[in-house]
Amino acid sequence: MSGRDQITLEVIKNRLDSVADQIALVLMRSAYSPIVRDSLDYSTAVCDRNGRFVAQGLTTALHLGSFPYAMRNLIGKARSGMRPGDIFIFNDPYGSGGMHLPDIYLVKPVFVDDEVEGYSTALVHHADIGGIAPGAMAVYATEIFQEGLRIPLMKLFAEGEPNQTVFDFISANVRIPRHVIGDLRAQVAGIRRGEQGLLEIIGRYGARNFDEFCSALHEMSETAMRTVIAAIPDGDYDYTDFIDGLGEKPEPIRFQVRLRVRGSDVDLDWEGTAAQVPAAINAPIPFIYSASYLAFRCLAGHEIPNAEGYTVPISVKAPTGTIVNPTPPAAANARGIVGFRAFDTVLGALSKAVPGKIPAGSEGGAINFGVGGRIDGEAYVFGETTMGAWGGRSDRDGIDGAANLAANQSNQPIELIEAENPLRILQYGYVKDSGGAGQHRGGLSILRQYRFLADGLLTFRSDRRSVLPAGRSDGLPGTPNLNLLDDGNGAIRTLPVLPMEGYAVRSGDIFSQFVPGAGGYGHPFARDPMAVLEDVLDEKISRDYALLFYGVVLDGDRLDPDRTASLRRDRPVFPNTSHLELLWKEMVGLIPELHCSAPFEAAREG
Amino acid sequence: MIYMQSARSLKIGRFVTKNASVRIGIDIGGTFTDIVAARGREVVGIVKLQSTPGDYSDAILDGLGRLLAAGRIAPEEVRAVIHGTTVATNAILEGRGAKAALITTRGFRDVLELRRIRTPELYNFWYEKPPPLVPRRRRLEVTERLEPDGSVLIPLDEDEVAAALGRCAGAEIEALAICFLHSYANPEHEKRVADLARGTLGSGVFVTASHEILPEIREYERTSTTVVNAYVGPVVRAYLQRIADVLRSLGIAAPLRIMQSNGGTLGLEAVLRVPAAIVESGPAAGVVGGALIARTLASSDAITIDMGGTTAKAALIQNGSVSRTSEYEVGAGINVSSQLVKGRGHALRLPVIDISEIGAGGGSLAVVDGVGRLRVGPHSAGSVPGPVAYGRGGRVATLTDALVTLGYVSPTSIAGGAVPIDSEAAVAAVSGQIAEPLGVAAHHAAQGIYVVAAAVMTRAVKAVSTFRGRDPRECTLIAFGGNGALMAPQIADELGIRTIVVPPLPGLFSACGLIVAPNERELVHSLFGRLIGLSQATIREELDELAARARRELVEDGSSPEAIEIEYSADLRYAGQAYELAVGVAARHLDRDLVAVLAAAFHDEHERTFGHSSLQDPVDLVSLRVIAREASPIADLPTFDYADTGQRPDGIRDVFFGPEAGVCSTPVISRSQLRRRGESPGPLIIEEYDATAVVPPGWKASLDEAARLVLVRQI
Repeated sequence: MSGRDQITLEVIKNRLDSVADQIALVLMRSAYSPIVRDSLDYSTAVCDRNGRFVAQGLTTALHLGSFPYAMRNLIGKARSGMRPGDIFIFNDPYGSGGMHLPDIYLVKPVFVDDEVEGYSTALVHHADIGGIAPGAMAVYATEIFQEGLRIPLMKLFAEGEPNQTVFDFISANVRIPRHVIGDLRAQVAGIRRGEQGLLEIIGRYGARNFDEFCSALHEMSETAMRTVIAAIPDGDYDYTDFIDGLGEKPEPIRFQVRLRVRGSDVDLDWEGTAAQVPAAINAPIPFIYSASYLAFRCLAGHEIPNAEGYTVPISVKAPTGTIVNPTPPAAANARGIVGFRAFDTVLGALSKAVPGKIPAGSEGGAINFGVGGRIDGEAYVFGETTMGAWGGRSDRDGIDGAANLAANQSNQPIELIEAENPLRILQYGYVKDSGGAGQHRGGLSILRQYRFLADGLLTFRSDRRSVLPAGRSDGLPGTPNLNLLDDGNGAIRTLPVLPMEGYAVRSGDIFSQFVPGAGGYGHPFARDPMAVLEDVLDEKISRDYALLFYGVVLDGDRLDPDRTASLRRDRPVFPNTSHLELLWKEMVGLIPELHCSAPFEAAREG
Repeated sequence: MIYMQSARSLKIGRFVTKNASVRIGIDIGGTFTDIVAARGREVVGIVKLQSTPGDYSDAILDGLGRLLAAGRIAPEEVRAVIHGTTVATNAILEGRGAKAALITTRGFRDVLELRRIRTPELYNFWYEKPPPLVPRRRRLEVTERLEPDGSVLIPLDEDEVAAALGRCAGAEIEALAICFLHSYANPEHEKRVADLARGTLGSGVFVTASHEILPEIREYERTSTTVVNAYVGPVVRAYLQRIADVLRSLGIAAPLRIMQSNGGTLGLEAVLRVPAAIVESGPAAGVVGGALIARTLASSDAITIDMGGTTAKAALIQNGSVSRTSEYEVGAGINVSSQLVKGRGHALRLPVIDISEIGAGGGSLAVVDGVGRLRVGPHSAGSVPGPVAYGRGGRVATLTDALVTLGYVSPTSIAGGAVPIDSEAAVAAVSGQIAEPLGVAAHHAAQGIYVVAAAVMTRAVKAVSTFRGRDPRECTLIAFGGNGALMAPQIADELGIRTIVVPPLPGLFSACGLIVAPNERELVHSLFGRLIGLSQATIREELDELAARARRELVEDGSSPEAIEIEYSADLRYAGQAYELAVGVAARHLDRDLVAVLAAAFHDEHERTFGHSSLQDPVDLVSLRVIAREASPIADLPTFDYADTGQRPDGIRDVFFGPEAGVCSTPVISRSQLRRRGESPGPLIIEEYDATAVVPPGWKASLDEAARLVLVRQI
């Protein structure tokens, strides 16, 4: 490509990014459900004539890598039957290219002179898709048939005409049709905007040139990724991580990856990963592609062009029948947890390959919370995600209260939640003495506490209570999740991370959910004592914690440098759950009704 | 650089208005302090000098002193001094705001720091979150709780309030923010704490409660807005009082008026109640000026593009009115799209002119990255070291260096000779850093930088137009700022725009905008409910009450009652949606069935903005808005003719206009030379003190009756 074309390419890239952003914006601002409009659990992409994405909106990172799989499937099955004005719809992970049922893909082929020259697409996590429990987060579904409406690949619009049958089917199968149909309408409007934008670009440069520029974007993106991979020393890098397990007596679910780095190619092999489970956390393969790509995408830095070419040097193998490549009819609605864990596992392997470039373990991904029921005969469904602790990094602290890198979703405004749902939020804030100590400490745990103001069915998905977020380079591991249900009858119940049942809650019950704290980086005694003092003054850690884990002695609100120096002469090896005692004190402080002993006997570093 | 036009050297006589009031606009940016004085429509003095960041009032004292010394205006003739300032924004960007505390509902002190938790970038392991303006140690919780309808669930614990105020006093805070959950529905708890605080802490502490400035649902946004107000309050107060002192010391008795982010001005006292309302003060003035121009054009829809050294700012003008938004973040630096990428700064939900800002300006660095991509910005050489061409130590090629290489910018000097240009160094930088890696000739590389920069700026324009369902092709592009008129033709090409207007004094246009800006008070009232369930009478009553209050406040602020106009609007959305659309209500429709009027207007606006609507779906009213406005006594932009400014453009120079047109021998003329020539085809360069405009081949240029440069595309 000549230098002059290089310039045009940069202009086209700007235009394409603008189109993807525009789809995202229409969706965000005109959607009806909190999970779309506030949590931003959706993704948008603009694809070339081969269905390869050339731009993506700034939305849910863990979705983005699923488009290639979905588009290949669509083109393979439907290419010859595409007509101008068509919009395709699908969500079924088995045979249609979907990931799990709540995620509905819409794809609009963009025609110029009767030829498909590109695609405008959006994938939205819908607020409800029917199934065994409101909000589609029932971990205890064992087959996809319990999980709601399966939409095989078909046309939602045929030559511009809506397929009313499909709309009617969807309306009849979901609990809150007005929201779901409203969001679908926003999704359609979004990709129509995307189509207009794409047509403008193609109109300007001509279809053939546009296609050539797309190829050049892919090449550029691939070259950038190859440069990154080539900088990793050749070798095999293994890492094992776990999901805590299902139900009341959890058995760890193993994630095993081997990165084989050879020159500028890498191969991720998931051999050794656990078999699929009779619960809703199996992740159909596109999600694992997505998690694998994402880890490398982050390593490459955020300025690499967002074109599919970067996926070319990365190959992914996952044995059939595992939790990362299940066979039908495995249930999958709560599969997000597998994506987060697969991402963590790849990062763990990379931390061996390129030390210093990978943060310590995060909170482990979004916790999903859902409750629904009926008030005066009318259905209500509320769902949200909570998260927000980043692990320490080799040159800086982790982050208190920032969305997981793989999800980047917003929290929902408490006042809106309370105005629109029979819920009251009692507390939302940091938990002192949480997170992993380190030279660069991990982000703090967050408590979100709900009071139900109506009877309903509670479902949720969480993790990282026994296998804690990883510390790196002598940093301490993060701190555990905890889910507590207080039904007013005395003892507070500790609920499992991945419950194999829904809980019938009564108006007045209180549910408390602790987001895990993130892992620390570097030995805590190497931490700048002034930074420790700041954390004490900000009530993020206690004085006891400063003394025990950072070897920092304070004299009132001042540092005692001499005693600190003498205490820090040796660097102790901390038993890696020793920091949970102080945390428990803090948890009891936040929830005074807690009278049990700390339920952390199984906790260990990943 | 100090540059000044004393009154005597200006020859303008065409619009002299005898005994008209003199207004002075003072616009302070990071680099320059611009002052324009006008008597009626007649410019009677302009000053442009380097800002004095240590104390910005120094440059004002200096500049106004020079203006008065020139003798064309006397201090007592001045009727108003209108000021646009970045003091509030700078306090946040530089972390130099007040030592503030926050009192909030027990259990929620981290709302401020947790924010919406979403990060503004993907794929970045090294992301850093902006630190909260009030650290956790000074975020104090007290027991109290309201329900969404405002009813009291837990009464306010006054002992805890007293204890919290004791801690505030002990910490020697300078400002206090108060924000309780659901206080938009019932301000009583906040009011009580504010009263106690004002009593306990004394008048030296700036106290602000959320219901006073933003009675709207959404706790983070309201808390953040309140905290920003507290954080900048004492700084803005001290600064404005200093400016008022400066005016007094010069014998100017006229009131100091301040530009707010929404494009209207208010007096000192009113601004000090909501100092956070002036964060976008400077950029707003230019857009207000743009709106005034748009009203005189055949189509009153326009897009303004304001480009200086580090950023380009775009705004949409519809029917001659500026577009506003309440979604804004202060301290965010640069954002591509004001709505999608959130989290870089601190939420500030006060009305602001909807401006999309992007990191591309004259000082933007151009680089060819590892994979051969040519990129321009967002990093900038700033004013120091600046572009290579300025010879102040800059080594990295910038957009300005590309403009010099192309021949757009004078190869010898700009700003009337004040800034020498080293064109050889500029060409060498573009050649070595960009042309060689790309394997093209230097002028092609420079053209590339120009085109890429324009593409980046085009994104800013799209963010305020196509992103909202507005077609930019139907708009006139109004270009100003030092570099606006150089970039405008390329941006217009990208967007299919056919007409460009460059006002006189493009480099001081914001100061001109200040002179013509109206006085304005905007009030919002949350009235949440299903539209169909509200009565015409309720809505009418609320609107009337808001209007009366806004009118009263404007009169207190010095406006004359009979000159005040009222503008009504409502924010609506479909039930379930999170974002509202503003729908205007014409005063003549106030007596109609407002429920029906609003519903119909909302469905239309939704269809227009998002491309879909649903007549069956229920519509919620969220809030009502009223703007009381008194127009500026100077209703037209000052005109200015560079007839006799000593400007001596170089005559003819070789300019590269891209691969198709190639190098053209291009006349370099002044605005007044263009007037003499009449309508002229490109290529042309129009050079003036504070800016340069380019007319490429395929465009023709003329000067209209108000000395505005009008470029029209021929092909």
